[in-house]
Amino acid sequence: MEPVENKARIYNSRNSRLMRETFMGSMGYKKLFYRAITIASFLAVWQLAANYYNSEFMMPSPWTTMVTFAAILHDPEVIANLLLTLKRVLTGFCYALLIGIPLGFLMGYSKIAMQLFDPLIDSLRQVPIMAWVPLTIVWFGLGDGPTVFLIAFAGVFPIIMNTIAGVQNISKDYYHAARSMGAKPWSVFAHVIVPASLPDILIGSRVAIGLGWMSVI
Amino acid sequence: MNLSVENLSKVFINDGNVHTVLSGVNFTVQEGQFVTLLGPSGCGKTTLLTIIAGFQSATEGSVLLNGQQVSTPGPDRGFVFQNYALFPWMTVRENILYPMKRRKMPRQQREQRLQELLTMAQLEGKEGLYPQQLSGGMKQRTAFIRALAGSPEVLLMDEPLGAVDFQMRQILQEELESIWLKDQTTVLMVTHDVDEAIYLSDRVIVMSAQQGNILEDLAIKLHRPRNRNGEKYIKYKVHLMNLLKKALHKEPEAPGKELELCLA
Ligand SMILES: Nc1ncnc2c1ncn2[C@@H]1O[C@H](COP(=O)(O)OP(=O)(O)OP(=O)(O)O)[C@@H](O)[C@H]1O
Ligand SMILES: [Mg+2]
Repeated sequence: MEPVENKARIYNSRNSRLMRETFMGSMGYKKLFYRAITIASFLAVWQLAANYYNSEFMMPSPWTTMVTFAAILHDPEVIANLLLTLKRVLTGFCYALLIGIPLGFLMGYSKIAMQLFDPLIDSLRQVPIMAWVPLTIVWFGLGDGPTVFLIAFAGVFPIIMNTIAGVQNISKDYYHAARSMGAKPWSVFAHVIVPASLPDILIGSRVAIGLGWMSVI
Repeated sequence: MNLSVENLSKVFINDGNVHTVLSGVNFTVQEGQFVTLLGPSGCGKTTLLTIIAGFQSATEGSVLLNGQQVSTPGPDRGFVFQNYALFPWMTVRENILYPMKRRKMPRQQREQRLQELLTMAQLEGKEGLYPQQLSGGMKQRTAFIRALAGSPEVLLMDEPLGAVDFQMRQILQEELESIWLKDQTTVLMVTHDVDEAIYLSDRVIVMSAQQGNILEDLAIKLHRPRNRNGEKYIKYKVHLMNLLKKALHKEPEAPGKELELCLA
């Protein structure tokens, strides 16, 4: 199989442009220009607000914040913590992928799997993430465990949901075409199901990473 | 190669309503023929063709390929879809190689066949493009040679030219014919276009709107390439159009359908 970017680039589905821009990092000049305007106006509003309050405590100016930020970046302890958080998010995200993608494939493809897992997943999904905190501390003790669990937990649902949607949206014609060209189940999976649902899986993964950062605490 | 459809019936049951689409359909297709199933819209052509392909099952009767009953899709029956169903995540080259790889053709042979097919369809230099970068006609030709690539015994096509406009359609018919003349695979094609049926086929099987009854099995004895304005050609056309009108007559009048036939 080819590298993922190669495939993402050629999709003409509704997600393709989004993916091309975010995953390929190929921002046009126009885009850069608009982004610069956004940042500039944001800084301007911030500065105005700081002038208005005129208090370092309530509303520090952008400049002060930036200087402080730069100073913090030289603090080894902060760097260490940052790396630790990054590690936790990535570990949690990997778990979410490892559980979410196979489950999503299964549920999207097989009605039986869907009926088996859907009630469970739908109810788990409703539990507020904070409610898990005490339980996870009991299960995993203090340390990385609870945080990684919560990150994985938050991320697994968007991955499952998007993978299911991706698989269910595959036109029957593709399955029929593959089979009438002699494809065995493995080839149908590897050459039809996976590439056809990849854009949706990537969307789910993006949402999962975002949720992961938010559940770091 | 010998494909025969024996006593084939298909009944759909929706909310207790029994709908017999096909009932006791029989016909045989011989090696090397280009056969067309012609019939009014909704008479069950697609249903029949997809049962032969193994995409759905028959209620009764059977499909025999070389005497063997077939009921699931297989590489012995290639299929060209109305919307082509080219894999958008594969290039033209990968799409065409796909059936050859599935049939475990050695690499060297694969490459050679690929080049042959590309030449046949005048797609040299396009093998690196993705389907969405192709024009309608190029997509159609790619779909056609992809279905041929695995060397099926018979090629099934469901209105392969249904998605294009009138003029493009005539051009594509001619292109399709020229590829077919080089390849000579047996073809069973579905269409509701009288002109298309006569231009391409050695034999036209006319289905009625009633349970897919076969109204006529007509051999088209004209030299290729056919002259659409020839006297005999027009005679075939008038004959088939009258037949189709008769096929429709017992049905409740469907506006637009008659018009479509007249234009064809
Ligand atoms: N899955 C299904 N369930 C119920 N009825 C169906 C189903 N598939 C087809 N039919 C019915 O069978 C009849 C024949 O359909 P089919 O698609 O085979 O017609 P067709 O000859 O290919 O028409 P067209 O030329 O418009 O493509 C139609 O009346 C249709 O409503
Ligand atoms: Mg049809």
